[in-house]
Amino acid sequence: MSEMADEKSTAAGMSGKRIDGSPSPRFAVSMAYFERAAKVIPGGIYGSKSPGFLVPGHFPYYLSRAQGSRIYDADGNEFIDYLCGYGSQIVGYGNPAVDGQALEQARRGDLLNQPHPAMVELAERLVGLVEDMDWAVFVKNGTDATTLATSIARADTGKQVIVAAEGAYHGAANWCSTNVFPVFMQAEQRDVRFFPYNDVQALEALFAANKGHVACVILTPYHHPTYRPQQLPTPEFTAAAERLCRAEGAYLIVDDIRANFRLDMRGSHRFFGIHPDMVTMGKALANGYPISVLLGTDGLRKTASSFFITGTYWMSAVPMIAALATLGEMERLGGTARLAELGRTLKEGLESLGKEAGFRARVSGPLAIPYLTFDEDSDLYLNQRFCAAMADRGVFMHPHHNWFISLAHTEEDIARTLEAAQGAFRELGSSSSLAAERP
Amino acid sequence: MKTNFAHLGPEERSVLARLKASLALRLAEEACAADAELQKRCPPNGIAMKLGIRGSDAPLRLQVPRTSSRRPSLLLFFPNTEAAVRVLSGAKGTAIPLPLGSGAFVALTFFRKALGRAAELLRSPDTSEETRAGLLLAATLYGLEAIAGESYLERRMQIIPDGVVGIRAGGIAYQVTKKGRTIHVQRDAPSAAASGSPHLDALLSFAGYRSAIDVLSGKRQAVVALGSGEVRVEGLLPLVQGLFAVLDRLSWYLGVEV
Ligand SMILES: Cc1ncc(COP(=O)(O)O)c(C=O)c1O
Repeated sequence: MSEMADEKSTAAGMSGKRIDGSPSPRFAVSMAYFERAAKVIPGGIYGSKSPGFLVPGHFPYYLSRAQGSRIYDADGNEFIDYLCGYGSQIVGYGNPAVDGQALEQARRGDLLNQPHPAMVELAERLVGLVEDMDWAVFVKNGTDATTLATSIARADTGKQVIVAAEGAYHGAANWCSTNVFPVFMQAEQRDVRFFPYNDVQALEALFAANKGHVACVILTPYHHPTYRPQQLPTPEFTAAAERLCRAEGAYLIVDDIRANFRLDMRGSHRFFGIHPDMVTMGKALANGYPISVLLGTDGLRKTASSFFITGTYWMSAVPMIAALATLGEMERLGGTARLAELGRTLKEGLESLGKEAGFRARVSGPLAIPYLTFDEDSDLYLNQRFCAAMADRGVFMHPHHNWFISLAHTEEDIARTLEAAQGAFRELGSSSSLAAERP
Repeated sequence: MKTNFAHLGPEERSVLARLKASLALRLAEEACAADAELQKRCPPNGIAMKLGIRGSDAPLRLQVPRTSSRRPSLLLFFPNTEAAVRVLSGAKGTAIPLPLGSGAFVALTFFRKALGRAAELLRSPDTSEETRAGLLLAATLYGLEAIAGESYLERRMQIIPDGVVGIRAGGIAYQVTKKGRTIHVQRDAPSAAASGSPHLDALLSFAGYRSAIDVLSGKRQAVVALGSGEVRVEGLLPLVQGLFAVLDRLSWYLGVEV
């Protein structure tokens, strides 16, 4: 990995020197683009890709290319990537089988007047694969799928209230986004009610308070809030969600968009023993090609059929071909077992290196979707310093968002990552204690 | 989008009046701290007065020097929120000075001078960057404090985690505490910027006075300054991001035409 920065140059180059406002030589091209962007794009880079969400000065803002488990920024810096396009890369960037078939279809025609036969093949494949699901509707973004799912639940039940867990992300539409302007709260957000994840009593209380009005509960298969350790569901909690939904005549939606196929090829609900009425998938579904899906059970087929569902790009052929190819590649490359195996090595390595350096570093969540936090620092100062130090060493680990393992990661990648982590933990330890450095 | 005072609802009027009053007092205090001429004019035992607005919250207090424990000698009373907003924006309107003790007239004259001086300092190209940054920081942070409780911000304040943010620009240091639906602002002694005193959940530091001025005057977008390293945020990010969202609402209030 020739472009990976060595320890000396990184220590001199980046760490913590950005407060003087001088451009970082390592990211000069990124910075120049960002300055230009700020003039013509609100915020320069908006949403979750905004530089402020990372650790400015230590991470690139623009990426130019990627291959396998590596990403290359606009300045030519190389990183081992653990964000995987926010989870969308599951068989690796530029996977030849997926890209080969997708590009072939692109040449033959992508967005056609009518759907490509691949749509039927993909629907059949998913319905056969994903446990308990009987039909599939293809959309573009995850938000399209979650919005459609909650709308179908509302239309079918004739009830308004959507129940969701506090801190869960279901997309950027007004009903579920953090754009909490009162004008949306009086309309789209008015009937969305929140409870603390895994809290059975709170969920029961919410159902009781909204008796006769709950259309659905939407849950991620496990809790992956931003800025916080990840939480697996307790069996009591998932059983309660199912029981309350059944008793109330409400639908249970599992929003599997993030975990998609990383835990179980039959859906993450199968992994956790949840029995939903609808499942949303996206991100890794086509290894980064734009497609998401809403899957549902027979009971909802009629209502789904009565919906006018469309979008100009929703039926483009390339992502469907790519999704079929991705499913094939997942199996060929070892599937979820392989992801978990790689994830275990990373988790155990990071936790033990952290401990050696005197930190209570903890990797939470499923093995294939890890996230490191420090039990001694819920404010995330250590996360930011650790991830900055890792980025300085050529490893892209997000300080505030969970990470992803892909089937393109290798044992060698993990070994290099752990080597970098050893240096990063040491740097954290030597930069005086957290408490002393904190103002 | 610009709004006219006439289009505001009763709560917005009340919040705006309180905001204007708070900014007037804080900017006057800031001008006193920065301006030797003004300090000379201050009577030896200091100035203490209150602003009261019918239809808005409890009276706000001006204390010069900040450490003085003098009892207020004057209540400057506004019969309604519109009068307060108009007068404190420099337009014509009714303000009733109610003496509470000796030195009431001196206090009023001094307040007017200090407020005028603050406006001058903000306008003048000769003002030092430190003073300008100090005025803008005071206006921004006390502005947040003044509007935090309004119902428009209720859900937003709910989402923002509670905690303490340290703000640093050169030698200026503040602590901003967000708790429930309130924001409390406290100016730290400059030494606090360097020392390792209280626990901060997040730290927002400007590269220098210039960066603070550019961001707080709206010349440079905060997200862009963050990206370019002129502003740095460490620690509990959603706390600081949340405050930036409240800041948007403050800008809206400051844009209301009288
Ligand atoms: C669980 C979950 N649901 C929904 C979405 C929204 O997906 P999209 O960004 O494709 O609209 C996301 C995206 O991060 C997600 O993680």
